[in-house]
Amino acid sequence: MEEFIFYAFAALAIGSALLVVSLKNTARALFLFFVTLFSMAGLFIFALADFVAITQIMVYVGGVLILMLFAFMLSNKELLKSLQQLSGRWINLPNWQSLLLVLGFLAVILWGIIEWQQQTPEWIVQNIKQGNIIQPNDNNVQQLGLRFMTQYVLPFEVISVFLLMVLIGAAHLSRKEEQR
Amino acid sequence: MSQLIVHIIIPIAIFGFIALFTLFAVYAERKIAGFVQDRLGPMETGKYGLLQTIADILKLLQKEFITPKAADRILFAVAPIIIFGAVYIGYSVIPWAPDWLPANTHTGLFFIMAVVSIDAIGILMAGWGSNNKYSLLGAIRAIAQMVSYEIPVGLSLIAAVMITQTLNLNEIGYQQGILSADPILFLGIWDVSHIGGIFAWHVFQAPHLIVVYLIFFIASLAECNRAPFDIPEAESELIGGFHTEYGGIRFAFIFLAEYAMMFLVAMLGVVIFLGGWNTPLPNIGVIRLADWTTGIGWGIFWTLLKSLIVVGVQIWIRWTLPRFRADQLMSLCWKVMIPLGFLCMAISGLWRILVMV
Repeated sequence: MEEFIFYAFAALAIGSALLVVSLKNTARALFLFFVTLFSMAGLFIFALADFVAITQIMVYVGGVLILMLFAFMLSNKELLKSLQQLSGRWINLPNWQSLLLVLGFLAVILWGIIEWQQQTPEWIVQNIKQGNIIQPNDNNVQQLGLRFMTQYVLPFEVISVFLLMVLIGAAHLSRKEEQR
Repeated sequence: MSQLIVHIIIPIAIFGFIALFTLFAVYAERKIAGFVQDRLGPMETGKYGLLQTIADILKLLQKEFITPKAADRILFAVAPIIIFGAVYIGYSVIPWAPDWLPANTHTGLFFIMAVVSIDAIGILMAGWGSNNKYSLLGAIRAIAQMVSYEIPVGLSLIAAVMITQTLNLNEIGYQQGILSADPILFLGIWDVSHIGGIFAWHVFQAPHLIVVYLIFFIASLAECNRAPFDIPEAESELIGGFHTEYGGIRFAFIFLAEYAMMFLVAMLGVVIFLGGWNTPLPNIGVIRLADWTTGIGWGIFWTLLKSLIVVGVQIWIRWTLPRFRADQLMSLCWKVMIPLGFLCMAISGLWRILVMV
């Protein structure tokens, strides 16, 4: 049963992602992107990363996707038309670049899998021996909180300062010009 | 195999409850509207008009599917399903009674927040798919409002979670009554672990949570697009907003989602702030009122009663207050509720460190 759901999510993610890049109708493609993100969140749950899965839905669906839809709806129709015509031809520069990127990623993933199968890293073997494994019923939120405030406190703080900078920048860009 | 059957029966039961609640709530809404406006409300169908909403839904079910010619057919058809589905999934983590909830997860509260935000996508889809000026305007208004008001909702929930120290809604329920494992302090002073009742609710454990609950309640009204925050629908300006073009069973689903959302936010507020399934009656000496009125049956009763009272207040507000203007709506959100939310968050932190220790 679980295997079936896993493969259903995986197929949905891949299929909808393929459709997103190939659809002519930009609005539909953007709405389909929601399906991709949602099934990715489902796949995260299979990795016992429920917090990451929910954050994915919260940030990408609740924020980024809506922003993209707004940008699409408020942008000039003529501008979009020229973009759509460009992607019509099969053999052109953007397609080749993306093909190269895709092959590169595929090579990295394959290399990782092969390396992994030959020799599992030492720290993983050790942790399995000590029984230091996440169970499906564990409270991941607490673990994440503890790690963020102890082991990874510097990256966490750097990210928060970065987000603050973004917020201040957005507020500055969107405020009214002073009357002179 | 038996687990599979449970996994099928519970969603159907919840759906049945939502449908029944909507029938009841629409009738109540029309009767309360009648009372507020000094008229009778529905009176013709059945005794006191009791069958009115059933007649309405039968009419809606029989209607023909009408899709506007210029509409985007797929988006138009899928939107009501997504709008309803988003709210419906939210019910999967809310407890009705001690240990009596569909899914006991450690991330329940966060899950609801994330799932409800999918609702916005559905509304935008309906507005865009209808290919109608008014629908699109309504949808854009709805999104602007929902995205803004998600911030006060989030802040108020963070302030509450700093007190509860868990996102698990079942544990949050346990913390507010006589079944609690940890000692409960009323206003941070008086130990009421064995007295329970109304004193053990979170709003009375830390009194600033009353303000937090008010922020949550007002912001959740805006999240459900209800008056006084109903500018996305605004019958007088936008002839119904994003659902202008919908009819028949598709409209019924959008309608169902609105009422399901009302009950969901009411129930969420009840579980986090107002004691959840815990009884409001305290133990007084030998009269063990709290002990007598705690259990699965009582739990369901208290959850339902409290949530229905909150829904009643929502309806009452709808028919009492006029609609906000768009700029008033935004200034209320950004200039009043968000600073107040941050202040409450700071108080929560101090309360946690200094009082609850």
